[in-house]
Amino acid sequence: MSGPEELEPTASDELGRDMELSSALGRLVDPATRDANYWLRFRAWVLESAARELARRRRVVDLTVGDVLTAWSRALVPTAIAASLAAALLLFQGPPGPTDVAIGLEELLSEGLEEEIFPAALEAAEDDAVTFAMERF
Amino acid sequence: MSSGGLTAYSDGELVRRARLGDERAFGLLVQRYERAAYAVAYSVTGRHEDAEDGAQESFLVALERLDDCRNPEKFAGWLMTIVRNRSRNLVRREVLRETEPIPVAASSKTPTPERETELSELSEQLQEVLEDLPQVQREIVLLHDLEGWKHREIADRLGIPSGTVRSHLHFARKALRSALGGSSDEDGMRSIS
Repeated sequence: MSGPEELEPTASDELGRDMELSSALGRLVDPATRDANYWLRFRAWVLESAARELARRRRVVDLTVGDVLTAWSRALVPTAIAASLAAALLLFQGPPGPTDVAIGLEELLSEGLEEEIFPAALEAAEDDAVTFAMERF
Repeated sequence: MSSGGLTAYSDGELVRRARLGDERAFGLLVQRYERAAYAVAYSVTGRHEDAEDGAQESFLVALERLDDCRNPEKFAGWLMTIVRNRSRNLVRREVLRETEPIPVAASSKTPTPERETELSELSEQLQEVLEDLPQVQREIVLLHDLEGWKHREIADRLGIPSGTVRSHLHFARKALRSALGGSSDEDGMRSIS
């Protein structure tokens, strides 16, 4: 048999099936010629075998639309509410009051200390004598 | 199973619904293409049992891989590729299923013994010629003359140029017609050229 080549369509091609050939092929190939319910059983077998995969696909869809949104909402909604409450509190708290700011190490170290604890040597003596330490027993 | 109002839906819409697990949509796709799938499987395997296995399993494979069908409107061509590959694997692995033979007498019209003999001889001759055809010609002639697909449908769905489809069909018909013509000879056993 020679290889396929491009042919112009013939009248019989355009008219459709070769009915005699169709009938002969049907007797040879089509299982329904021997069993009228063949295709019903064929389809039933396919659908029965496909039931699990179809159910899985339905679950995935349900999961996508329902469960995933619910799961997200469980975590996101409380977090969003808490964040918005915190933001609202901060907004309505008003401007902060003046605060003491340490401007150097010395001030930072001496801040809040009583004056009495300063070394006595630093105090001026009444008789103008130099006193390195004043110890009282 | 009722398919409701889905019968008017395009392949693409049915595929999209089947992806979501719609059993009716998938059932309708099976109904639409079960015969074509069987014909393609038969064109590869040449055996009823293997063609049945190939076609049925192909629908299940197609469902599992439905998300890979990039163009749902071209579902038929995509499915036939699966059927062809699946059937080739069946032949390659020689996976043969033990089945009860379907009695010929199950046919609704019971022919006379003479007619039965004639039909049987004709079928044998037709079977021989069909087996000798290249697989692509077998597939095309079965889709066209058995399933009623038009040239353009075959070309579109199988991704073959329309002219090539007509060409294959021409040669396949020529060979098969010779088998049909041979049955009308007196001895009923004319050799097929």
